[in-house]
Amino acid sequence: MTTRTEAAVWEREELLTGCQAVAHGVRLADVDVIAAYPIRPYTEVMDAISKIIADGELDAEYIIAASEHDQFEIVKHASSVGARAFAGSSGTGWMYGFEALVVTATDRLPVLFLVGNRALDDPGAFGVEHNDALAVRDMGWLLCWVTTPQEALEHVLIGYRVAEDKRVMMPMALAMDGAFLTHSQHLVRIPTREAVRRFLPPYDLGERRLHPDNPISIAPQVNEDWVMEIRRQNWEAARRARQVIVEAYREFNAVFGDVYSPPYYFEEFMTEDAEVVLVGLGTVARPGRTAVRRLREKGHKVGYINLRWFRPFPTVELRESLRRFRAVGVIDRDFAHGSPDDGGVLLHEIRSCLYPVRERPVVVNFISGLGGRDISIADCMKMFEITQEAAQKDSLDGLVTWVGLRE
Amino acid sequence: MIKRVEINYRGIFQKNLAKKIGGDIVLIATRMGQVGFSNGRYSDSPERNGIPCKYFAFISPDLSEEELEAECGAKLDIDEADISVVLDDTMVKGVEPWAWHGIRPINEKVIEGGCLLVVSRRSHQELLKFIAKKPYNYNLAILEGDASFAGLWVYKDDLTRERVLGAIAAVDPELISIEAVEQYLWDTTQQEHRVLAARQAYEQVRQSIRTVTPDQGIEWPYQVPTLPKWHEFTEGIVVPAVKRDFKVGPGGQARNTQLKRFTSRTQRPVIRFDLCIKCTLCWYDCPDECFDPTEDGYYDVNYEYCVGCGRCAQVCPVKECIVMVDELRFEDNSSPYEFWKRDPEGYLRWAEEKKGTERITYPFITGTGVHVLEGERVPEGKKIMLKKKEALTS
Amino acid sequence: MPREEVVLYDKIKNVRQTPLEEFYTSGHRTCQGCESAMVMRGFAKAAGPRTIAMGSTGCMYVANTSYMTTPWVIPWMHTQLGSGGSAAVGTAAGLRALMRKGKIPAEKINVISFCGDLGGADMGLSAISAALQTDYDLLIILYDNESAANTDIQATGMTPYGAQTTFTPPGKKHRIMQRRWKKNVAGMLAVGHPTCRYVATACATFPPLDYLNKVRKALTIGGPTFIHTFDPCPKGWDYHPRYSHELGELGIKSGIFPLYEIIDGQVFYTYDARKERIPVREYLIRQGRFAHLTEEDIDYIQKMVDEMWEEWDIPGVVPVRGFLKVADRQPAGVAD
Repeated sequence: MTTRTEAAVWEREELLTGCQAVAHGVRLADVDVIAAYPIRPYTEVMDAISKIIADGELDAEYIIAASEHDQFEIVKHASSVGARAFAGSSGTGWMYGFEALVVTATDRLPVLFLVGNRALDDPGAFGVEHNDALAVRDMGWLLCWVTTPQEALEHVLIGYRVAEDKRVMMPMALAMDGAFLTHSQHLVRIPTREAVRRFLPPYDLGERRLHPDNPISIAPQVNEDWVMEIRRQNWEAARRARQVIVEAYREFNAVFGDVYSPPYYFEEFMTEDAEVVLVGLGTVARPGRTAVRRLREKGHKVGYINLRWFRPFPTVELRESLRRFRAVGVIDRDFAHGSPDDGGVLLHEIRSCLYPVRERPVVVNFISGLGGRDISIADCMKMFEITQEAAQKDSLDGLVTWVGLRE
Repeated sequence: MIKRVEINYRGIFQKNLAKKIGGDIVLIATRMGQVGFSNGRYSDSPERNGIPCKYFAFISPDLSEEELEAECGAKLDIDEADISVVLDDTMVKGVEPWAWHGIRPINEKVIEGGCLLVVSRRSHQELLKFIAKKPYNYNLAILEGDASFAGLWVYKDDLTRERVLGAIAAVDPELISIEAVEQYLWDTTQQEHRVLAARQAYEQVRQSIRTVTPDQGIEWPYQVPTLPKWHEFTEGIVVPAVKRDFKVGPGGQARNTQLKRFTSRTQRPVIRFDLCIKCTLCWYDCPDECFDPTEDGYYDVNYEYCVGCGRCAQVCPVKECIVMVDELRFEDNSSPYEFWKRDPEGYLRWAEEKKGTERITYPFITGTGVHVLEGERVPEGKKIMLKKKEALTS
Repeated sequence: MPREEVVLYDKIKNVRQTPLEEFYTSGHRTCQGCESAMVMRGFAKAAGPRTIAMGSTGCMYVANTSYMTTPWVIPWMHTQLGSGGSAAVGTAAGLRALMRKGKIPAEKINVISFCGDLGGADMGLSAISAALQTDYDLLIILYDNESAANTDIQATGMTPYGAQTTFTPPGKKHRIMQRRWKKNVAGMLAVGHPTCRYVATACATFPPLDYLNKVRKALTIGGPTFIHTFDPCPKGWDYHPRYSHELGELGIKSGIFPLYEIIDGQVFYTYDARKERIPVREYLIRQGRFAHLTEEDIDYIQKMVDEMWEEWDIPGVVPVRGFLKVADRQPAGVAD
């Protein structure tokens, strides 16, 4: 990390939870409209933002909505008139507003949402599970997981920059594991407003801004003559986002020092000479990387890949990375009942990504940590053990193992 | 071999009728050993009162049902029709069901040797004044009668259904024969008058089939728009608003130039400006913003956009000032006010000639009939106020 | 003593003063004779060019905009079926934030969001309620054609008793499938939102100017406001399109649809059906959707309408009947 820029760009350090860190990101992004509706665990971000507003540190409209649907629709419409907008939710709340999430994407409005991952009801449960955020994966959303409060704050800024880029204009879901990150306090470096201004340009909808000075009609009814072409436009935007994301990280590094390294979409840990790796989304990286360290001490050639961006999926980069290994263990903190091999969502994405590779690594799957169950270092050790076995035995390809289940 | 029948109808008013006819064709053809199915053009829904819509029946003597479906089903519209039935003759002026479809000729889909079958009281020559030329020969058949209109909840049992079946049998006996039609009607209803209606229509239509040659009909004045490619229009489903523009006078109001609604019209309001008391009600009550205020306080009507609902005629408080007249009596959509200003006497003569002497009044509930009265020729400038009660009679 | 306040607004005093320019203009796919189109035309005309409109899914969305064209001169945006209230709040909030922060010039921009009865009175009621609790300047118009007219006429919470819809067809066993009484949305919203300064009901064309002036009043008085319009629908109600105006007039004169405005908690009848009403029969027999009703059914509807005007504490608005008068006595059967 360069020290030269440090003094200018970082203002102070504070102990913050993931949610509070996002609130500071929202403050620094000078968000104009925020709509809140309570649901655990994301809701703490709204608690923090309301206090920031009450203390005069952010000038924004803060609306207490009547439901998640109301909440998401409010920020969608605020975004359409050119206001930078923020909302968020968790679990079934996210699903309650799902219709609004779909149209926010098809209207191409770059609202940023925090998804504090939470298990879907029934039974009611507060713990983390990724199915809520993953539900928007096919809808034209940017979808990214962070693993520390520091990353959370920074990805609010990166998120707005990518989402609001003219080439992209897609809503952004910033996902973080409920409780383990939303409510975990860490020291966070808070950037200065000036540095943020240099990184994040103002939100400009251009000719799509809804205003009497720019009279337009947004989203008229179409018939079969149009939908396919409109889908193709959105498909193109999702493709273009890949380049824009890389640019955003480079620019972030230029302003804030070398914080992130290529390929940005994911970060590799001790993979250089690894034969076997685990891939996961979110805070499972902590026990995952610790297990790597411990196994390395014993001479095992193992590594860990923390996947940050799920949409757009880093197909080429991840394929080039994973093809180097003999076996890949995919950790799913989600379920996809009845899907191919009865594996999790991430398994299918990664196998599909690896399919064109002639000499493919063996891919096995771990369903773990559902409903907020912890994934321990020992669990990760077990996952490595199975993956290492798979590296020797091609026939294990596609094996799904539930780890941490009472059996 | 596939026979495609398209039934052009007026949205809502003829929805039930068209659907029944489509189903009947399938059932009759099936009795004759063929396979078939029937569907509507789903893009027409939600249907609006008066909008040109389509129903289809597809019949084959030799294909399997699946093959027939593969050829004809799951499509926005058909590419060609062996028979195009037109349940309301005012549709011969063109059909535009939605924006970017263009105003298309009613015989657009009719193939060489195919048939355009129109329910009408008019002659072939009268209809061909509106119908586009085709580069090949096809047939024009006329089933004598009035358009059968009813409401959403109502199927108006006025024998139009049976008569259209008889007419189709006359046009293409291989598709459905008149014997099969008669047998079907008898088996399903046991009512002799329905069988008879079909047979009479059959006999009448057989005499009415005329070959239309490439020199008959008109040069079609409208273009079918080319839909832009995916990268040729703004992302984010954004459409520029109608550009704000308003001047007092004919055509002074900015309007949506890419969707003109006149093909929904079966009647148009004819205005006796000399009787107008400038009460503003026609303009005030028009749900399609068709009336243009003029400098001298009159209201021109823009026939490009008028859908012919008749509200203006209904709210007008002056006797004979606004009268709804059959759309086929008119050749163009030019401004009546400008005509009147240019030539007041000529306009008056023209208006009276168009209005004729028949005055049709409608009961409130759709499909329950019409009253035809003797019209009155009000002398120029003689303003007779109507009592509201009279206007309300049902 | 009732206090009467005058709302100082730019009143259209007679038909000739009605602004001539249209901001919702020709070239929409609405039905012949559509009254809801008059609601659109009217609010756009009354509000003028410095307006942003949002439209919930429904007839006035699907029929009005046939991609890639629009009949709107003013900026307009689609919103989801249940988010008529949310759209207004989001738009107003966005504008306020941008103006306060100097990101766009500060000026009055009218925010008008419309929704049909399916969207507004059923699905979107909570969002409208939330909108009426805010302090944003916005107007929500519920255009009520008493059915889900865009889906080919299904019953909603606003469909009147006895009406035929595709969900409530008369049959061999049950003549009347629509046995719910129409929801009283304007009254409910007025009663439940003490800081909402203006709630009104209206019919777009009867009495002339009434609706336009109500829109202007709502926009002038400020804060969140609500207008519920009564929209005869030739398609679903089954009458000849030329009679839309008459049906609206008959509905109001028969007292079926009360016309009033509630300004700062005071009720003003803009057509006083307490004094004189024509029989509901005159209204009902002119629509195909009521064609299956018997004389007894019509009598029942007449009785309900009479009760609304003669027995409700606030006639036509609040269906409370002398509750306070009997409240000092425990109703029979209630344990102490």
